[in-house]
Amino acid sequence: MNLRKGWISVLSVAVALVATACGGTGGGNPAEQIGTLTVWLMNGSAPASVIDSVNADFKAKYPKVEVKVEIQQWGDIGTKLDTAFAGSTPPDVVELGNTLVAKYAAAGALEDITGKKSSFDNSATWLQSLTDSCTVSGKLYCVPYYAGSRAIIYRKDFFDSAGVQPPKSMDELLTVGQKLMTAHRSDPNFSALYFPGKYWYAALPFVWDFGGDIATQSGGKWQGSLNSDGAQQGLTRLQSLVSTLSKADKTGDEAKQDAAFAQGHIAMIIANGWEVGVITDPKAGNPALKDKLGAFPIPSHNSGQTAPVFLGGSDLGVAAKSKHVDLANAWVAMLTGQKHMTDMATVGGVIPNTTSMLNLGTGLNAVFFGAAKNSRFVPNSQNWASVESANVLPDMLVKIFTKQQDIPVATKSASDRITAILNGGG
Amino acid sequence: MGVAVVTPDLEPVPQLSGRRAWLRKSFLPYALISPSVLVIAGILAFPLGMLVWLSLQHYGLKELIQHSGEWVGLGNYQTILADPLFHQVIVRSLLFTFACVALTVVFSTLIALLLLKVHQAVRVIVMSSLVFVWATPVIVSVDIWQWMFDYEFGVINYLLTNLHIGNFIHHNWFDNPVQGLGVLVVVVVWGAIPFVTITVFAGLLQVPSDIVDAARVDGASGWHAFWFVTAPLLKPIFLIVTCLSTIWDFGVFNQIYVMLNQRPSSDYFTIAIYSYRESFGVTQYGLGAAIAVLMVLILVFVTFFYVRETVKVAEIA
Amino acid sequence: MIAPGAAQGIRTGTERAATHLNLRVNILERVKQSLYDAAGIAVAVVMLFPIYWMVATAFKPGQDILRLEPKWFPAPFTLQNFLDAIERPFFLDDVKNSLVVVGVMLVLALAISFLAAVGTARFGFKGRTAFLVMIIGVQMVPLNALIIPLYLMLDRAAMTDALPGVILVYLAVVLPFMVWTLRGFVANIPVELEESAMIDGCTRVGAFWRITFPLVGPGLVATAIFGFIQAWNEYIVAYVLLSSPGNQTLTVWLASFTTNHGPEWGPLMAAATLTGLPVVAFFLILQRYLAGGLTAGAVKG
Repeated sequence: MNLRKGWISVLSVAVALVATACGGTGGGNPAEQIGTLTVWLMNGSAPASVIDSVNADFKAKYPKVEVKVEIQQWGDIGTKLDTAFAGSTPPDVVELGNTLVAKYAAAGALEDITGKKSSFDNSATWLQSLTDSCTVSGKLYCVPYYAGSRAIIYRKDFFDSAGVQPPKSMDELLTVGQKLMTAHRSDPNFSALYFPGKYWYAALPFVWDFGGDIATQSGGKWQGSLNSDGAQQGLTRLQSLVSTLSKADKTGDEAKQDAAFAQGHIAMIIANGWEVGVITDPKAGNPALKDKLGAFPIPSHNSGQTAPVFLGGSDLGVAAKSKHVDLANAWVAMLTGQKHMTDMATVGGVIPNTTSMLNLGTGLNAVFFGAAKNSRFVPNSQNWASVESANVLPDMLVKIFTKQQDIPVATKSASDRITAILNGGG
Repeated sequence: MGVAVVTPDLEPVPQLSGRRAWLRKSFLPYALISPSVLVIAGILAFPLGMLVWLSLQHYGLKELIQHSGEWVGLGNYQTILADPLFHQVIVRSLLFTFACVALTVVFSTLIALLLLKVHQAVRVIVMSSLVFVWATPVIVSVDIWQWMFDYEFGVINYLLTNLHIGNFIHHNWFDNPVQGLGVLVVVVVWGAIPFVTITVFAGLLQVPSDIVDAARVDGASGWHAFWFVTAPLLKPIFLIVTCLSTIWDFGVFNQIYVMLNQRPSSDYFTIAIYSYRESFGVTQYGLGAAIAVLMVLILVFVTFFYVRETVKVAEIA
Repeated sequence: MIAPGAAQGIRTGTERAATHLNLRVNILERVKQSLYDAAGIAVAVVMLFPIYWMVATAFKPGQDILRLEPKWFPAPFTLQNFLDAIERPFFLDDVKNSLVVVGVMLVLALAISFLAAVGTARFGFKGRTAFLVMIIGVQMVPLNALIIPLYLMLDRAAMTDALPGVILVYLAVVLPFMVWTLRGFVANIPVELEESAMIDGCTRVGAFWRITFPLVGPGLVATAIFGFIQAWNEYIVAYVLLSSPGNQTLTVWLASFTTNHGPEWGPLMAAATLTGLPVVAFFLILQRYLAGGLTAGAVKG
């Protein structure tokens, strides 16, 4: 099953306008509410069946409201969102990558829903990192939708033939990798741990595990902290792993890692749970690997523990310019409610927005669902999106892995840039 | 037809007399161009005006959503002109454009000349290949190129290695910006060749072959005949083609943006990328607009000579 | 393909060489000819390779696409990628939208630019130079920089997420080039032809329609091809303006093959091949009219 791909976009629900046409505006009665609700979801976010079911439930409650779900493409989505929010009729509900929320919330694009938080299912048990991503200056601007957390996907057959077990610590990760490299030394393309140079989501666990962070805030001021001792230790550890175990492009990104993995010259990648589906996809990947894949959490340097991972994912916001704020909230509440979140987790295999459902992961997914419990997030600043656009982290990693710069130098200049950008400078 | 014929600007209008003729002469041309002016001005005047206005404001995402910026006069321009990155970007863009235009025009002219010499069947093959290239959307062709130059799956690395040109296994073309920009020049020139070649070739067909033959009989080498006879006749074509190529290549965006996974590092910034990044990347729309305005000004300056010559040639017609 | 006349010129030249010069020169000529032909083929191969790679990939099964050792030919061969692409939702809607956008835009653009071409080629008037400079100058403004202003303008006119808005933007973008090119073609047709028709009793307008208009045919075709390609392949404006999937154009549909974990190469290449086909078809149908020279007019300026 390829979970992320081919979910059909749905344009749904032409409402039968038969019902009693006389009877005024309807006021607070759901059955009498009228209007058209436009929803933007991203390509690959929710299975079509879930969206259909949400819309069916919504129609049952609000028979006179038309819902248009429009699936948007990832490329240049920032450009599209900027213009749409600037226009007079932005979508009422919009799915936003969790690192983008702060930017739009701070600019006033999203409706403040702090007062309505308790009306959403599971709001007390929302994943902390997702809630953080929705919170700007203490106010809530979106509802957590789903999460993505990374673990290591590995080839069981390679591990067996090299006589190694999934590692319990970072040191073991290195020795296991070295044994795999030795076992495959005749293959010049072999990577024990395939790690593309710009893969900053996968580099963060190493920084966090040693107590480092991207930036810290005190007194309203941000201070980049990638050059802290902990962060440097983590990056040093990562660099030694990459230089001994990875043949991946030191200046490339992770977009091709699943296709590369399917080619059979890789023992481990750091990946999201849904990437299993991409690797074993009969059309683009290699279905024969289905039974040969295993997963384990990224180990900590403290034996027996796991490293904190970056919690990716998406949130659902309501546009401040929406003319149907209440209807939009109602739709969001349905999609993120107990019933449909359960479907997202079981049918879609996506990590749900609440800790109360993290036990729903089965098989390999259980590992990824579990990883979400120990997760962190990027600095929650409206300027974080600019740090991403400026490629600060990927550029730093590339300089470190290609040895163009020593770790202290590279981390210092990255930290300085992060400080400047987060505090509103260039 | 063509080269030798001179069309007078104002032709006599024999059958009409006096006042009516005068009316025609004075109103007809304006009536004829008015739809174009209306469309172009009607659709582009407001956006162009707004672009200039934006460039004089502090305009971030918040301002964009609320439609109210903060007037900063020439502040954005001062910021940009003081930015050392901007100077690098300008130099890089100019060199990049020069390389692309020069290579495009030279290769296209050579191919067009070659087309005159080859067999009919070969000409059909070459022309078809040009059409296919031209017909492929840029966003697709850049994807293909990116993949061909890929670090591990790239067919170029595989080919170069197997032809024993060197060990290109896991060769990274974009590691070194000079090499990376070289690859981008190849991609841009490849995409630009069809239009320019077909245009130059069409022009070559208009050159009366007896003039060239005469030059050859007088002992001129093929090169001399081209340089002293054919090329001057094609001057208008070369002018417009160079002018347009300069405009297009200076604004190159998709090739660089897509090739580098929509996240080009600043080593690859050309002016169009820089403007786009300031606008949509870091939501400084005022700065982005100011860069775009500067870009147009630079382009006006660079192409001033061409545009003047081009319009002059057109005026004589 | 283009210009049979020139080809004949070469052939008669070769024949002359064969009869008047001795055999050695003849052989030399032949070697030279083969070299030219070989060079021509080489050019075609280099130009076509990326296109070949696209089409070949479109016919490859998934596992054969991303390989450390690339496969040169699509064997085994599959149509699965094309089926995947066509079955993608909104394919037919988006084909239709693209055809409507480009078709309507082209008809309008040809009519409008033809008038302006006649105006500037046949008449001298005050402001003509300014008009010509504007035509070139407008092309210098980067389209990306106009996205926000264009969006806000069309938003005010309630024309976002609707094809007319996109048509208008394309029209304004393509028109300058079309006016310029057509102007060259019209200028290239001797006024004397019209005048002699008028002496034969045609009215001025009649002479224009019967004599000049048909002669501008190749110019209209060349210009139409250019406009077609520009508009058919445009992406960013369509992407930003059109939001409902049923309202989008083919290039936006193409973007749906690039997911957050990179492109789906097989279906993407198949879809790209399908997208390119109408342009090639349009060109092949019209190419014979190009014989007169894509820019016969441009020689004159």
